[in-house]
Amino acid sequence: MDTNIKESKPRSRVGGQLSRSLPHIPMYVILGLFAVFNIFVIVWVALASFKTNRQLYANVWSLPVSFALTNYIKAWTTVKMSQYFLNSLIVVTLSVILTLVVSAPAAYVLTRIKFRGSNFITQFFIAGMGVPAAVLFIPLFDMLSKIKMVDNLAGLILVYIVLAIPFTTFLLTGFFSSLPVELEESAAIDGASPLAVFIRIMLPLASPGLLTAAILNFVSTWNEYMLALIFITSDKNRTISLGLYALQSSMQYTGDWVGMFAGVVILMIPIVIIFVFLSRRMISGITMGAIK
Amino acid sequence: MLNKQRRKLIIPFLAPSLILYLVFFIYPTIQGLGVSLDDWSGFKLPLKFIGLLNFKNLLTMDDNFVIALKNSMYLFFVGGFVIFAVAFLFTSFLSSGIKAKNFFRGILFFPNVIAPIAVVTIWQFLYNPRFGLLNGFLNIIGLGQFDQSWAAPGRIFPAITVIITWMAIGYYLVLLLAAADKIPQDVYDAGRVDGANTWQMFWLVTLPMIWDVIGILLVLWMISAMKQFEIAYAFSSTGSVPPESYTLPIYVVVEGFGMREPIYRLGYASAVGCVLLFIVVILTIVIRRLFKREAIQY
Repeated sequence: MDTNIKESKPRSRVGGQLSRSLPHIPMYVILGLFAVFNIFVIVWVALASFKTNRQLYANVWSLPVSFALTNYIKAWTTVKMSQYFLNSLIVVTLSVILTLVVSAPAAYVLTRIKFRGSNFITQFFIAGMGVPAAVLFIPLFDMLSKIKMVDNLAGLILVYIVLAIPFTTFLLTGFFSSLPVELEESAAIDGASPLAVFIRIMLPLASPGLLTAAILNFVSTWNEYMLALIFITSDKNRTISLGLYALQSSMQYTGDWVGMFAGVVILMIPIVIIFVFLSRRMISGITMGAIK
Repeated sequence: MLNKQRRKLIIPFLAPSLILYLVFFIYPTIQGLGVSLDDWSGFKLPLKFIGLLNFKNLLTMDDNFVIALKNSMYLFFVGGFVIFAVAFLFTSFLSSGIKAKNFFRGILFFPNVIAPIAVVTIWQFLYNPRFGLLNGFLNIIGLGQFDQSWAAPGRIFPAITVIITWMAIGYYLVLLLAAADKIPQDVYDAGRVDGANTWQMFWLVTLPMIWDVIGILLVLWMISAMKQFEIAYAFSSTGSVPPESYTLPIYVVVEGFGMREPIYRLGYASAVGCVLLFIVVILTIVIRRLFKREAIQY
């Protein structure tokens, strides 16, 4: 809210007045250098993915001769990125959706219904955020291999869901507790059952929070390869990050940098799309949790 | 009356996530603590109780564990120092009223959403001594004397730390900015009336007011640093991970699942995992205590 400072100076943020803009120049320079570096690196990799290895070694700074998709086709077919991409699409989408299905109702009852132990259970879930997966994946691997859920996509989905529960619960409980109480009460007075209140009123209201949790979980699950490395052992079940890792390990022998770069671009495409359209939501989701 | 009816929802709504969490997260964690007291050489083999022997060996005779521990701590302290120093600096810049704040914030945050494996690929190329971009750039701008093997043995982990730091700065910048943005304008105005400049404003106004948030962010970073696996594991020029690059989670995987040799020391690996969890808990308590302060209501 604006405060009532009756001055003739223009309203502005700290130190942002015209006469003080000179000290801002070094700020622009420093920020600019960092920004340029980031942009440059990405653009360079994208351009390099259109070169051949020989062109790359000849001159790293040159633009590609043509934008032929050879590297991409090779990555997609020979290197089986298409299979990995599909696996990731299935695994990540399903685990994101199921995580919400499981966590949203829990977050709802934990925040909107006062019952004994609700606070404890909430903290109990959130504490899981501090447990490194390394602590539990040996027994978890043993458990899953006994029920034949290792080296299959369903098992990986299960692992992803379970490991996403702490953070998702954290985010959603924060979000649900910020919604107004009156709507539920008035709906109840109108005779709606609690279930209907949840589905017809709370869920739609909570959809920004659900969407944010979905985006953040999608990005982190798509990008990860550690759990996939442990729980997936055969080539056909690899997710895309794991596939790139495998590619990279073998690249020591082939030296196919441009092929790697094509793989990098393929891997990054969904995330870049999400980022371009939804970065504000991502950022607000991240801050929502930590900065109340 | 509303509440009574709604209470019927509690069990069906809470059960799925609670059960999944208990069965597949909490139970394995506790099992891991138990297994660390055993000698377990393979998933189909039986466990042999050996008490604290794993821990004793770990803490007294294991050089690789010491390397892993040192690396994880190095990442937390050195990496953390750089990340937070830069993030604070940039927060003060972006809060001082310059234009294109959201643009800079977005560009600086972007590395955080790139897959770590992709980031490693990119940086391996940057670091490459023969035709990499880093050396190439130095030569172009006349600083060719600095042309060197950036990721040579002996410096691999600092090189890895640079990569992790690059990715993380944007994340903590975003959080710090959000915290700084919540400080109401009147506080700044009062400061301005008293004659403070931008720099003083940052140190004497912004920083104290977000002190407890900084504590939370440090805990987040500590957990993140202790969990570090993907970048250090993939970044290696020889195809398998040298001990020099070990972090604690990497060591758990190496001891537990073996790398090229099928030697599984599952009890021992679990002990490493226990130590890791213990460190996280202790550091969390220490950091929270250091940064505790009554919340200033505003």
